[in-house]
Amino acid sequence: MENLEKIILSLAPDAKIEENTQRFTATIAPEKLRKVAEGLKAKGFDYLMCLTGMDYKDSLGVIYHIAPSNDEANVIVLKTSTPDRETPNLPTVSDLWEIAYFYEREVYDFYGIIFTNHPDMRRLFLREDWKGFPFRKDYDANPALNPIPEKVPSVESFENVPTYSIDKDGKLVKKEYPLFSKDEYVVNFGPQHPSTHGVLHLRISLEGEIIKHIDPHFGYIHRGVEKMCESMTYPQMLYLTERLDYLCGTMNRHALCACIEKAAGIEVPARAQYVRTIIDELTRIASHLIGWACMCNDMGSITAFIYGMRDREKIMDIYEETAGGRLMVNYYVIGGLAADIHPNFQNRVKEFIPYMRKMIKEYHVLFTGNPIAYGRMKNIGILSKEKAVALGVTGPSGRASGWACDVRKIEPYAAYDKVNFEEVLHQEGGTFDRYMIRLEEIEQSLRIIEQLIDNIPDGDFKAKVPAIVKIPAGEYYQRVENARGDFSIYINSTGDKNPYRVKFRSPCLSLITALCPLCDKEKIADLIMISGSMDYVIPCVDR
Amino acid sequence: MLELDKFIEWIHSSLLYLIGLDWVVSLIEYVLIGVAFLSLYAVLALILIYVERKICAFFQCRLGPTRVGPWGLFQSIADMVKILLKEIIRIDKTDQLIFKVAPFIVIIGSFCTFGALQFGRGLHGVDFNVGLFYMLAISSLGVVGILLAGWASNNKYTLIGAMRSGAQLVSYELSAGISLLTMVIISGSLNLTDIIEGQANAWYIFQAPLPALIAFVIYLIAGHAETNRGPFDLPEAESELTAGYHTEYSGIQFGFFYLAEYLNMFIIAAIAATVFLGGWQPFHINADWAASFNGIMDCIPTWAWFFGKVFALIFLSLWVRWTFPRLRIDQLLKLEWKILMPISLVNLLLMAVWVLIF
Amino acid sequence: MIKYIKEIFSDIWNLLLGMKITMINFIRPKVTEQYPENRGKKQPFERFRGELVIPHNENNEHKCTGCGICMINCPNHTINVITNQITTEDGKTKKVLDKYMYDLGSCTFCGLCTQVCPQKAISWTPNFEHAVFTRSKLVKQLNHPGSKMEEKKVAAPAAAPKKEGEGNETNVQQ
Repeated sequence: MENLEKIILSLAPDAKIEENTQRFTATIAPEKLRKVAEGLKAKGFDYLMCLTGMDYKDSLGVIYHIAPSNDEANVIVLKTSTPDRETPNLPTVSDLWEIAYFYEREVYDFYGIIFTNHPDMRRLFLREDWKGFPFRKDYDANPALNPIPEKVPSVESFENVPTYSIDKDGKLVKKEYPLFSKDEYVVNFGPQHPSTHGVLHLRISLEGEIIKHIDPHFGYIHRGVEKMCESMTYPQMLYLTERLDYLCGTMNRHALCACIEKAAGIEVPARAQYVRTIIDELTRIASHLIGWACMCNDMGSITAFIYGMRDREKIMDIYEETAGGRLMVNYYVIGGLAADIHPNFQNRVKEFIPYMRKMIKEYHVLFTGNPIAYGRMKNIGILSKEKAVALGVTGPSGRASGWACDVRKIEPYAAYDKVNFEEVLHQEGGTFDRYMIRLEEIEQSLRIIEQLIDNIPDGDFKAKVPAIVKIPAGEYYQRVENARGDFSIYINSTGDKNPYRVKFRSPCLSLITALCPLCDKEKIADLIMISGSMDYVIPCVDR
Repeated sequence: MLELDKFIEWIHSSLLYLIGLDWVVSLIEYVLIGVAFLSLYAVLALILIYVERKICAFFQCRLGPTRVGPWGLFQSIADMVKILLKEIIRIDKTDQLIFKVAPFIVIIGSFCTFGALQFGRGLHGVDFNVGLFYMLAISSLGVVGILLAGWASNNKYTLIGAMRSGAQLVSYELSAGISLLTMVIISGSLNLTDIIEGQANAWYIFQAPLPALIAFVIYLIAGHAETNRGPFDLPEAESELTAGYHTEYSGIQFGFFYLAEYLNMFIIAAIAATVFLGGWQPFHINADWAASFNGIMDCIPTWAWFFGKVFALIFLSLWVRWTFPRLRIDQLLKLEWKILMPISLVNLLLMAVWVLIF
Repeated sequence: MIKYIKEIFSDIWNLLLGMKITMINFIRPKVTEQYPENRGKKQPFERFRGELVIPHNENNEHKCTGCGICMINCPNHTINVITNQITTEDGKTKKVLDKYMYDLGSCTFCGLCTQVCPQKAISWTPNFEHAVFTRSKLVKQLNHPGSKMEEKKVAAPAAAPKKEGEGNETNVQQ
């Protein structure tokens, strides 16, 4: 902590260090931002975990969560804000951390903060002709302002990319350039396409079968979850988390529950912690099974897809019996669990473990050993460790590149500090590594479950929680390792029963960001396969 | 007993007796044969679609169609009715003439092959002296239709699908041709009747075990690739190109592509059965002690032998299709030019040497 | 050259192994559920959240007091509790449930309503066959016509967990 303080003060002596916060927080003036950012990057802070826009009512600001990739627990929270509400502008950091390219577009989309020298200041989720910036507190939500258009303008009309810079007189200058040249063979990939894993829209410039450039369009299922959260009470917010990344719903819910519990000082009983860990790992297995199955399907092996779904069904049955839901499990509540585990729960899980182990062996023979599959995956879409860190690719995809980024190890939550498991790491970062790491992580998850299932402590399954959950004013940040990577939740509370600002850090957004450099000069068939190996879920990106 | 050639002769003689005029009888018989082939074509397609759905389901731990009729037997009939009733969507900015003609080219290509196939003793339309060559030539006609369909649809996905199809067909035609040529060395004739007669005592695959087996495997792979199915379904690659060259087709136009695909599977299996597995010839062991065994084998009608072999090969093809992932275009071409082509060329030589020695 | 041939053979062997796996699955028992046929034989698990109901006892009585906590807590306004003010025999005015309207079409099955209900008057049934022809049929009245509130023993509210009792008051104040 003191060390971080030293670093910040050496870069910006007038930085205001905030006391009594969960993480080390420093506020700096916008003019100093570039200097501090460059200094931090040079000091090894190469992972931009999260970039959050904020409306402080009197000013518009941005919060950066930055950490070194080899020591992620050392998070620095940088804050900066600008009082200008007409044309607010801040310098970009997208040249330092590549992931900021999309994060800053998101902030521009929601708050209208212009990042100068950013190469592409289009909106990210909303349509280009949307009026107003919806996350500002003074946003006018009158539907007459943004009516449903009678004729939807074509995508091509939005392909002039604006960029902003500040000229010598300190004025904001806007420039535009076209995204694709006229003679390029541009294919619309999605939003209705069988293998974009959701309603993702990719504009792909092709040369024969070779991909030249990819431009992703998001927002086809943007529901404004973060905005919705601002008008909901904390227990109400919970159900939205499972609708972000529907394949690891319980983990997302775990993140929010843990964040609120920590903030409100609620002690969760050990029984609930154990059960949560088991359920999380079951979800991880289910999610990886879908990831594996969909990747096989993307490569044309529909049979393998059905096998994956068949085995996932066993986990769904376990959920249904204990929690009453299948995809939307709705099992965790603030303070513990919604109900005690079903008497059959332990037996079912114990039956499932050997079954899954047997099936994984079959998967390896059926697909991993297949020379066609191996030949396709080998040496394709290689993501180096540096690139993975710069793009914020966490989770199995990041670990396939050799980046030890498992939050379960870095900041253990629930019962993860009580179990032995290996953080599976591969070094090459190819598609085959990303494929293999999922099957290997299933085995590790089985190991975790095996250690916990017989040792669930007796006791309450839910702590006593006040009827109205309020968390003290302040900022809270909770990280959870979901099946796709580092899923974090940032809550800014004013002490009210509603949060002031909620931000979900979506691991899937960075996976799609990585798609563009990975598929450069590869074939269309590889794009499908690489996107399958990335295993992203679009609702998590669009939020 | 159950042979159909007697029945056909009976029809011929009774027609001749009733009408008396040679040319009228011939005319009537042409029409009858045409109708027979058309109905065979349609019925086979229905059976194949049902078989494929059922087998695919079983490989995937499912049950497949179970609703329409017992075990879903009438599912494909229901599908046929549905596809006939569907609207044919007219798409602007397509090349209307070529767009409409393309499905017909595809289906004619596969239908014409039926004329030369020998379904049993005396059960064939035309007996060419270049029957094998004719079948190879006419069954490759379909690719023209696919290319035209992909081009005329004026859609980027269909164009990519059509181009892939072109590259694939042109390459795999080579090794399919060469492996059939290998067998022509041993038969010494392109006439299908001669080829089948030559296997009366032992099928070619047993007459020259090593080269014939290699040629058989290569022909199955190449033939499989020619039908655009299984791991070679790049032209339609549904996870990449939505539906490839027939993305824009609907109703019966799509139905034609669909039919042709299934019938091509049948044709490839039929050619393989004819050339390697003795066509409609029963399984015989060429030895004195096996005379009674051969007698029992002869009891099974020849057409049953033919269809039995063909469906066994189709099952193999479905098994392969529902096991393997799709190849990428460069893997596909590498497999042909670096593996199948050299091996089949060496195999051709091997066969020549084999025939010389034995 | 030897490596080339070796590779071909090992590849073919691996392909055959894969085919063996699919053949094993070909003869395994199938997992398809024959849905309308197995109707009644295979039920969803008892905790399955299929549809919200107000359980009634044999005298057509339910436990709902019409407090409206479920309505306030519902994240997307699925529940509408309509109450009447009546005067009881001893002269007190009392709020009783008139209609408990539940819109199945907008329910997300988050279960918040059953968790917060102080009387445990609402619960889930595993009924999953929701298909109807018009959307208006999805809006259901959960209290049976003519039903009334179950007369509680005096001890019952005190026995209810304290925190929920608090929740009752505070929530209503909102």
